[in-house]
Amino acid sequence: MMEKMIFGRYIPGDSFVHKLDPRSKLVFVFLFIAIVFLANNAVTYAVILAFTLVTILLSRIRLYFLINGLKPILFLLIFTFLLHIFFTKEGDLLWKWQFIEVYEEGLRQGIFISIRFLVLVFVTSILTLTTSPISITDGMEVLLNPFKRFKLPVHELALMMSISLRFIPTLMDETDKILKAQMARGSDISTGSIKERIKAVVPLLIPLFVSAFKRAEDLAVAMEVRGYRGGEGRTRYRQLKWDWRDSLVIVTLGILALLLWWLRS
Amino acid sequence: MTSSTATRSTNHSRTLQLVQTAMFAALMMVGANISSFLIIGGVPITLQTFFAILAGLLLGKRNGAIAMLVYALIGLAGLPVFAGFSGGFDTIVSPTFGFIVSFILVAYFVGLIVEKYPTKVGFVIAALVGTAINYLFGTNWMYAAYKVWAAAPEGFTYQMAWAWMAVPLPKDLLLAVLAGLFGYRLRPIIQKYL
Repeated sequence: MMEKMIFGRYIPGDSFVHKLDPRSKLVFVFLFIAIVFLANNAVTYAVILAFTLVTILLSRIRLYFLINGLKPILFLLIFTFLLHIFFTKEGDLLWKWQFIEVYEEGLRQGIFISIRFLVLVFVTSILTLTTSPISITDGMEVLLNPFKRFKLPVHELALMMSISLRFIPTLMDETDKILKAQMARGSDISTGSIKERIKAVVPLLIPLFVSAFKRAEDLAVAMEVRGYRGGEGRTRYRQLKWDWRDSLVIVTLGILALLLWWLRS
Repeated sequence: MTSSTATRSTNHSRTLQLVQTAMFAALMMVGANISSFLIIGGVPITLQTFFAILAGLLLGKRNGAIAMLVYALIGLAGLPVFAGFSGGFDTIVSPTFGFIVSFILVAYFVGLIVEKYPTKVGFVIAALVGTAINYLFGTNWMYAAYKVWAAAPEGFTYQMAWAWMAVPLPKDLLLAVLAGLFGYRLRPIIQKYL
């Protein structure tokens, strides 16, 4: 459980996709999300699907993990599919039972949109599965840099993300400990009406917040003792490196966009 | 002497605020998944909005909003901090992602209100306004997401999106009032750390 809290869904490896710079992966995903919307007929959806399959192969992620990531969105996928099937009433009538009518256009749209969803979820999941949260944080810091102009504290933001990562396992432990301590004192959270339960949560939350703020103070003091004085002139331990692979990926994506533009109806 | 003490203390408060903000983002993880800590059968309670409101009440508009931004970003970066210990970049295409984005605005406006009216009533009103923002922004985002991601046909109406959201509304209003009262009670306790 602890490991899951620190690494998230990241699966270490040394595939082509694993070796990419987090910046190029983030840019890739953002552009891909936009490019997917170019597809609007059978050929273009097939191209997108093929492209995604190649990406999956290059990432050498076991299909099991991708399918697993699909679970939370499965309901949505089915809902969307049914929405199209039942509400789009264009083209030939394919099937009729009582008041339920399925039209050709509805089926087609249902399949297309399901592919779009699937592809979006797969590609975004690959980013999560092949990149550790800490390197995504590094990548985000660089990509957010232009927003410094709008007074977004980018360096601080990245540092806060790292501190948050570090606090999460601690807070999980802390919550568990407080919960057990209160249960030992006879606090009953698992029975009664919703109102009673919510009331019982208060003696859990107050110590949680107080201890969290105490820890924050300790860490702030520890940081200052080690000379932390803000982002000015800080060097980094983890260096990002952009190499030929990253350029290749972005160029390939550009070619995909052109191809889709040319093939779309 | 005085000037060096002054720089030291502003530096201290800046570092402290930074760490507290980061810590609050991590606290959101607990709030989002509180039901898995409390072994409650049946009713899954997420206290995400509750905690987002507290971020505004306790940290103020700027840091509260930044804490929620950090929360959204670490979730996207792949940490299982969202409800149901989910996380990862694929959350961005989920229609409910708008609720996570809305927390940034919730914390900001809650903070804005309590900075002007730091009374018990002010806290509760701020919490209610926060919940309203959460619903308005989240539901509109969800509707737009269905229209854009899923190219939802005409049959999917704006009313349908809201009908969906009406179910947990009474519970969330109750939680908002509680969040206001709770924040009011908690604020003096943690004041010494702020």
